[in-house]
Amino acid sequence: MAVQTSAPGPAVSRLAGPALVGAAVALAVGVYGNVHDPTGEALFTLFFTATLNMKAWLATIVLLLAGFQLLSAARLYGKVHIPRQVPPWLGQAHRLSGTLAFLVSLPVAYHCLWSLGFESDPDQTRRFVHSIAGCFFYGAFASKVLVVRSRSLPGWALPAAGGALFTSVVVLWLSSALWFFDTVGFPEF
Amino acid sequence: MLKRIVDVLQIVALVSALVFVVLLFANEPDAARASSGKEIFTANCARCHGPEGEGGVGPRLAGTVVAEYPDIEDQEAIVRDGRGSMPSFRDRLTPEQISAVVAYTREDLPSS
Repeated sequence: MAVQTSAPGPAVSRLAGPALVGAAVALAVGVYGNVHDPTGEALFTLFFTATLNMKAWLATIVLLLAGFQLLSAARLYGKVHIPRQVPPWLGQAHRLSGTLAFLVSLPVAYHCLWSLGFESDPDQTRRFVHSIAGCFFYGAFASKVLVVRSRSLPGWALPAAGGALFTSVVVLWLSSALWFFDTVGFPEF
Repeated sequence: MLKRIVDVLQIVALVSALVFVVLLFANEPDAARASSGKEIFTANCARCHGPEGEGGVGPRLAGTVVAEYPDIEDQEAIVRDGRGSMPSFRDRLTPEQISAVVAYTREDLPSS
């Protein structure tokens, strides 16, 4: 009688690495934000009138780049068929937009973490949700970078990682830039 | 060509992430200084009222609070209990810290 031994879901178990790394990054960001004493100090403002204005617009740029990421990924994987032919540069443009989104997010995150800190009071709903989403964003980003470079993961892993990342960007924008434009004013450079 | 640009940009992003982490820790403020009114203001109030109390999401404080709250206890009560969209600082600051930060807004913020 033959005895079959099978590994418990090897493709799924390979996801544990990216998931754990992402969780560690998100946790590290949250711990720093919670332990660090917020300085409350402003950063550079580029050509904007204040740091918050700059952050609102940089977050909007990140959202637009994330939107391009979503649409270009959908075309690259054949989920949409516009344009009819996949432009040869679209793959690189997808990578470029993701890298730029990450770079643009850094000064925003720096001010959030260093100047404002992690909002741990659930009664401060907007700031609490924003803090959680900010930690999740960098965790999801780390996971996605690992997933995209792996050839041995299930087919749904990359869209799941990308979808989680995009969702976190949307939540971050809604709980920061949209609030700023709605409360302080628009376009409020 | 585009691939090379993206490759270089990804290296820049990696270096930027490392610089980001280093700066987060390099600029850690001295906790012992947080007992002064200015430090308390910077850590807790500046995000809404502006670094110089010039106003922002919250109202301007510089040069206005003494006229608006002639009795200092009225201003301390607002910091302690909150009002409108301003949160209560009862659980975040000690009574001594509230007194220190209120005194700072009344005496040391620039009036113009």
